[in-house]
Amino acid sequence: MFRRNTLMILVLAFTLIIGVLPATAQDPVEVTLWHMEQPPHRVERIQMLMDEFNAANPDVVVSQEPQNWGEIYTKAPAAVAAGNAPEMLFAIPDFTPILKDLGKLQNVADFVGTLNEAHSFYPAAVAPYSYDEGVWAVPLYNMVHSLWFRNSVFEAAGITPPTTWDEWLAAAEALTTDGQYGIGVPANRQLYTDQTIYNLMINSGADEIYNSDGTLRFANDATVSAYDFYSQLYQFSPPDSPNWTWGEAEACFANRTCAMIMQFTVITTYDTQAEGDAEDLGVVAIPAAEGAENPGAISYVNGVMFLTDDPAKLEASQRFIAWLMEPENYGRFLNMEPGLFLPVTEDGAAAESFWNDPLVVKYRSQVETMVANSASGRLFGFTNGNTFPSISAISAQNLLAQTLQLIVIDGQAAGDAVAEGQSLMEEAISG
Amino acid sequence: MSLVMRRTLLGVAIALLMFLVIAPFYWIFTSSIKLPPEIIASTPTLFPRSFTTQHYDNLLGGSPFLSYMGNSLLVALGTMIITVILSTLAAYGLYRLRFPGRRLLFRVILITYAFPGVLLLIPLYGLLSDIKLIDTLWALIVVDITLAAPFATWMLQAFFRTIPMELEEAAALDGATRLGVIVRILLPLAAPGVASIAIFAFITSWTEYMFASVLIISDANRTLPVGLAGIIGQYQIDWGLLMAGATMTTLPVLLLFALVGRSFVEGLTAGAVK
Amino acid sequence: MSAATQPKRRHSIGAPRWLGYAFVLPLMLWLAATILVPLAQSVLLSFQNVRIIGTPGEFVGFANYTRLFESERFWEAFGRSLIWVLGNAVLQTILAFATALILKQRFPGQKVARIWIILSWIVPTVVVVVIWRWLLSASGGIVNYALVALGITAEPIGFFSSGDSAFASVIAINSWRWFPFQAVILLAALQRIPAELYEAASVDGASTTQKFLNITLPGLQSVLFVMGLIGTLMSFNVFDVIWLLTAGGPSAATTTLPVLIYDTGFRQFRLSQAAAISVVTGVFLLVFALVFMRFAAPPSDDGEEERI
Repeated sequence: MFRRNTLMILVLAFTLIIGVLPATAQDPVEVTLWHMEQPPHRVERIQMLMDEFNAANPDVVVSQEPQNWGEIYTKAPAAVAAGNAPEMLFAIPDFTPILKDLGKLQNVADFVGTLNEAHSFYPAAVAPYSYDEGVWAVPLYNMVHSLWFRNSVFEAAGITPPTTWDEWLAAAEALTTDGQYGIGVPANRQLYTDQTIYNLMINSGADEIYNSDGTLRFANDATVSAYDFYSQLYQFSPPDSPNWTWGEAEACFANRTCAMIMQFTVITTYDTQAEGDAEDLGVVAIPAAEGAENPGAISYVNGVMFLTDDPAKLEASQRFIAWLMEPENYGRFLNMEPGLFLPVTEDGAAAESFWNDPLVVKYRSQVETMVANSASGRLFGFTNGNTFPSISAISAQNLLAQTLQLIVIDGQAAGDAVAEGQSLMEEAISG
Repeated sequence: MSLVMRRTLLGVAIALLMFLVIAPFYWIFTSSIKLPPEIIASTPTLFPRSFTTQHYDNLLGGSPFLSYMGNSLLVALGTMIITVILSTLAAYGLYRLRFPGRRLLFRVILITYAFPGVLLLIPLYGLLSDIKLIDTLWALIVVDITLAAPFATWMLQAFFRTIPMELEEAAALDGATRLGVIVRILLPLAAPGVASIAIFAFITSWTEYMFASVLIISDANRTLPVGLAGIIGQYQIDWGLLMAGATMTTLPVLLLFALVGRSFVEGLTAGAVK
Repeated sequence: MSAATQPKRRHSIGAPRWLGYAFVLPLMLWLAATILVPLAQSVLLSFQNVRIIGTPGEFVGFANYTRLFESERFWEAFGRSLIWVLGNAVLQTILAFATALILKQRFPGQKVARIWIILSWIVPTVVVVVIWRWLLSASGGIVNYALVALGITAEPIGFFSSGDSAFASVIAINSWRWFPFQAVILLAALQRIPAELYEAASVDGASTTQKFLNITLPGLQSVLFVMGLIGTLMSFNVFDVIWLLTAGGPSAATTTLPVLIYDTGFRQFRLSQAAAISVVTGVFLLVFALVFMRFAAPPSDDGEEERI
């Protein structure tokens, strides 16, 4: 009995000491990252990198909470308001102005400058986050739209990959046969449609939505011709495309119902759900209208925002991001979704860790095309240094897509619809 | 109408009905065991030509699906227990006691359904955040009870009204306390009804999406509907994973109903006046 | 306990008045905390000009309400909500009644059918949405495949492509989800109607229609009242099915009031405006409920023994 008691006391004392010891030493700084890369394999890859970083930095503990794009616009402001925001939050350019309004967002101009010296950002990557005398997120990865097709399908129809709008429309028409639609283009009031219509706006010379004074110049002839052309392509699209998001478009391409689609990538889907023949998968830049001066495609530079003013937490967060940008880690980070996420730094684009992923090896030529297309990528509201935070209101409501619906669903003429679109935008950005 | 014709018509009607309800689930389940190319094939196959468990392996091994399911079960059970307590008490008061304003109270309870959930979302976020319940399963239990309890209270009326008052009186004469009467006499008689509202509360909580999507922040506390929506993903959809997820989300309630489904339906009908 | 042993006959009717309140109090407190308090905050918010949650706002009086009543989008959404409720009510009532009457018959497997009919109600909305988007897809969806294969249509149908068909599809899908639950509730109420009534009517030579009108409907009055009330309120406030299926589109064709509230608050970032729409919606439903109760409440609703 006595011995058991002694043992108990010893055990108790031991636990107490163990319990007290770490508290007297320096507590690690805990920081949390929210991101919207929710598919399980991406979460797993981010966790792997975090574990490595945490092991190498015992004074910091980085953890992640995957979120959903569908809810983040509600949830992040609510969390900031209630004081339980994360230290780091992934962003696309139009998301930053919303959080900046809440007053928690940190200006990271100096930090981006430091990273730039080490890795050389592509200028186009930093631009969308630079406005109001600050840089509001660190660019992390890029995504750009291209036109995807099957070489064999084109050959069978006797056509070559289109480079002009005339060729493109002719191809869509020729490829529309029994059981196959020439091209799958969405008309949902949703981000995917914003992206596909903006692709055409870029390639008709209507990429500027704002004048340099911040007024809207959406309603112009170039925009009208882009919408008009879109509605012509739409005739050769499947009947359920008004309800599409990216996934349906990819399924349509993978099961050969759609001969062409515009998408960031189809590589993973094509490799796992379709034939996976790397030779047959074709990709080119989005065709441009005759005479368009500065062709390109929509691109999203994703970045990370910092929402803490606690110096220790901010330092820990930035140390993690700096570590992530190191070439030996950066490629592995991008390849959480191989063939989708593209580098935003020069040394990242050369990093072996990026190019040695098995899927990237297999589809190397396609990935090279995507990287090349990303050089001329841009995003509505963030062009030519004319960045106006009010674009958030336009993109959050998907007004580009809504304007398209006026044409393809409600049957308005392109000119009227674009004029109405501009008035919708003006209403959206008004106080 | 002859008996044979009646029978045939009834049979056809039943078959149509069951087809309408069950066929979609058959389609989801069979899709979940097909290989990816067959799932998205432009010519759908009624009977799977391929077989794989890869989607289930991915779901259970590669995603926190089981954790989502555990959370959903906890929230649903919590909602169920508290709803049963609150609703049974209220129903007893409303349907077995006489007091002024009773009818008004009953109506006030029903009218709570007049306010759009969307309307309550933001203020509730603030309130729950003030009492540090944001990102806890309790936040969802609190909300789900509000969604379930008013209707559950009404569901109990049929039972409480059909139990003769004399039983209570007799028990009271024998010296039982009021609580004793409720627990020993009323509840056993109303048991099928209580089982029904328990299941109703469970299902209400199990299927709730909107509040769960906003009030829960961390992946570790996420419930099934929201977790499943996340699996759908942004730019790419793994259809097989989604179908497996949909099947697995249906499975626990299938089991529940296989076990207690009879008491739900019979519970509702048990108040029948013989 | 000594109180219970006192000689006075204690029974429900003789219970002290406060006891009734005591039993109802916990639920009332719960509902007050989770509905009344947030509601008050929403009303407050609706008189300010808050755009994003968490940002400060100023008091602007009735500006949000004036803007609302002048807004075409609001009235269109309002009209759509009415059609939505009506469409759902008609479809669900027909399906639920038919189902309840069928399941009331005796047939082999009746018990099994009564349990599993409920299947579509017990799965989360997200699954319902996944199922139907998948079934109705024009590239590889089984419904379109069947329609074309059976020669009913020449081309696959885009169920969500035009405003009307999208609205109809969403109503059908929502009804598919809810009708079994209503059917089971109706079935329960049908079972409660004493069989002797029907037998006696048969002896008197009443027709099936007469029996339905004179026995079935009156017997269901109490249940129909509550289902009419709660069903309407709940159906009016349905948000997730619509949002997840169409996000209110195409071209706002499925934007009912709850969708408009969400869209205004969280996509246009006009939180105060959204609160104003919510308040107007709430008041409208409240008035509806009061009117409904005034004119449709069965005598039994006051809590007296309803039959026997």
